Order: sequence, then C-alpha cells, then structure tokens
Amino acid sequence: MTGAAAASDEALIDRVQSKDENAMGAIFDRYATMVYSVALRVLKEPAQAEDVMQEILLQVWNRPDRFARGRGSLGAWLAVVARNRAIDVLRQRRPTESCDEVVLASATNLASEVEQRAMMEKVRGVMNELPEEQQRSVELAFFEGLSHSEIAARTGDPLGTVKTRIRAALTSLRRGIEA
Amino acid sequence: MTNGHISQEDLTLHAMQALSQKEDAAVRSHLDQCATCRADLAFVVGDLALVALSAERTPLPAGARARFLEIISSTPANASGRALGAAIPIDRNPVRSRAIWIPWVAVAALFVIAILLDVQVQRLDARLKIETERTAQLTATTAHAQEVLDVLTAPTAQRVLLTAPKTPPAPSARAVYLAARGALILEANNLAQVAQDKTYQLWVIPADGSAPIPAGLFRPDAAGNASVVLPPLPVGVAAKAFGVTMEKASGAATPTAPILLAGAVSASGE
Repeated sequence: MTGAAAASDEALIDRVQSKDENAMGAIFDRYATMVYSVALRVLKEPAQAEDVMQEILLQVWNRPDRFARGRGSLGAWLAVVARNRAIDVLRQRRPTESCDEVVLASATNLASEVEQRAMMEKVRGVMNELPEEQQRSVELAFFEGLSHSEIAARTGDPLGTVKTRIRAALTSLRRGIEA
Repeated sequence: MTNGHISQEDLTLHAMQALSQKEDAAVRSHLDQCATCRADLAFVVGDLALVALSAERTPLPAGARARFLEIISSTPANASGRALGAAIPIDRNPVRSRAIWIPWVAVAALFVIAILLDVQVQRLDARLKIETERTAQLTATTAHAQEVLDVLTAPTAQRVLLTAPKTPPAPSARAVYLAARGALILEANNLAQVAQDKTYQLWVIPADGSAPIPAGLFRPDAAGNASVVLPPLPVGVAAKAFGVTMEKASGAATPTAPILLAGAVSASGE
C-alpha cells in the first residue's frame, strides 16, 4: 500500500482533481469491489458489471468535482450510483439521472475493506430480520428494478401496501444499523 | 403529498426510480423548489446505500484493475469526462467571442447527420424494395405450385393420353423366292415416287458371294405400291439377301449405293 491508501476520501478526490493516478488507484482499491458487487447483484453478468464499475469510477476520474463535499460518504454514494446505473443497463436504457443528482446523508465510513465487510454483515443481519414480504419488496425494487406497480402486479398486493412495505423496510434498516 | 411535501414512501420510490414517469416528474418538480424534501431525499438515499451494501462481495474479474488504470492513463488530462446521461453544465455567462462558432458547428453537425440519415434511409428503402419483390415472387411461385397441385389432384379432372400423330409409313417390301425354279415375287409398299429418268431395281445377293444379280426394274403407282413378278433369273442360285436400289431409267448391271431396301434370308429360309 502507498501513502494514498491511508488518506481520506476527500484527500484522494483532491488529488484526483490534479490527475494523480496513484490516488485514483487507491480509490479503485478501496471501492471497486463494492461497486462491482452491487452491479453484479443487479445484472448477474460479470462482464456487464465490470463495465458499470469501470464507467462509474471513470466518471470519478474525469469529473471528481461531481462528488462534492457534502454529498455524503464516497463509498455510500458510489454504491447508490452503481445500483442506479446497473438498473439502467438492466432496462437497456440511457442513464436516467446524472451522478450530480445523487446526494445522500450518510456518515457510513466504508473506506476500508474491514469496515465494508462489517457493514455488509450488519446490513444483511438486519435485512434477514425484516418480515419476509418487506424484504422481498425491497429486493424486487432495489436489485431487480421493478416499479411499485410491477411489484404489486407480481405479488398481488395493493400499490399502497407495496409502498408502505418498502418504506417500513428502509426505516427498520436504518434503525437497525444505528442501534 | 403530505402537508405540502412528498411522502417518505414516494421519496423512496423516486430514489429507486420505481415511480411511473408521470409520478416521477411531479416529484422532481417539487424537489426543485423544496429544500425540505431534498434533505429528506438525501436521508432516503442514505438508507438505500445500506441496501446496496447488503450485496454479497464478489472479487473483481482478473485484470480489472490493470484495465482500469490503462483507461485512465490514456484519458487526456483535460478530458471533460462527460458520460452518457450526465448533466451538461450550462455556462450562465457565456463569452460570445469564444462561443460564437458553436451554433455553426452544431448546424454543420446536424447537416452531416441529416445526410447520413438520408443515405441510410435510401439504403433501407432499396433493401425494402428488393425484399418486397422477393416476397411477391415467392408468393406467386407458391400460388402457382398450389394451382398445379389442385389440378393434378382434382377428382373431376379429365385425363387424356396424347401421342404424336402418325408418321408417314416407312417403305417396305416382301420378297418370295424359290431358288430351285429361279422364281421371285416382290411386293413393295409405301415407296417414294421416282423421277422420270430413274427407276427402282431389285437385286438378288447370292449366298456364294458372287456379284448381285439384277432381278427387275419397277416404278411405284400413285399410292407407292409396286411389284416384280417372276423376273428372268438363273435357276438354282441360293440367295443370301435381296436389295432395292435407285438406278437410271434403263437399269444398271451393278447396284448403285445406297441400298434403299434390304432384307437378309433367315436361317429358316423366310
């Protein structure tokens, strides 16, 4: 590991703005696996998932200013952007939103492999505790990219119930992580 | 909407791109003007990041890092990096002298694109015509084949065997010869007419290989029939065959080719 590996995300982004390839390499080492894993979970196709991962990290390289301070944790931001881009690929459509639009409030620190794994285990533990229908609704919406009406059609539940389940699942998830 | 703001449920669905287009447009419109809902949305997106983190970690494909580093090494330092669908920054205070060429470039680009599209349309049109003609040909061929099949298999069809009309009967002759008496009778039919200065001549071909013996001149009647009855012949000459040639009107001492009619004596003597 270089000195960049221990630097904060913000410091690495600053260096990337100066086209420091070592800093970009450090960001890659820090988040590429997570981004790839999210894309793969959605797409189930390694080549497509790698394309999404490369595309997103290339955007960080080309436009590091997009991840302005105040957008939240870089790792969490990348995870959401990866999911959204993978859903676009899954639906075979052009990107529906710019990375600029993704702003999140999250203090989750994912800067190390250990922290990422710990968070993954914790999230999975909370998810497994959710009522099955809530868990299923969230997974259909988040990882399979179904709209709430598509989920309702698939599960046979009313639209309002689907909405409530998804919101309730996310609320439970946040509380479970903060606990 | 709840209390003039977007519900948490709809914010969640918006963040997951799970609303209908119409619903999503309404949410976006509100978000543009409502800082409270934008803040709420940021929390929702933070929650979604947690869901994303539930994905099982999978190692990168071999060589992924090297491929990525190669890409960024080859990316120009001043690359704008504008990705598909990314927001295009708008210069609110454009410097006219610097940007005045931009519309002309855009017009030129549109012109080129229009030409390319026109060429493409023409190609597609030509191809469509070819395919249409081919389809029409196939349809006609199929219809014709079906019609043929219908005629061949129709139970009420009349079936008639046609043959070539009769050809003119071939000239022929039948000879009856009694060597012991030197007697010969020939009956010929369907003979072609001969010119005034020509005649048919009958020949006996001896079995011993000696020269053919003239056995009479004859001309056919209007119906092509003719006969030679008991011409003067030597007695006791065994015959191998008989022949008819065309000779001058006074006849000939030896036959002139071609032999028009010929018949060999069979072993049984017939």
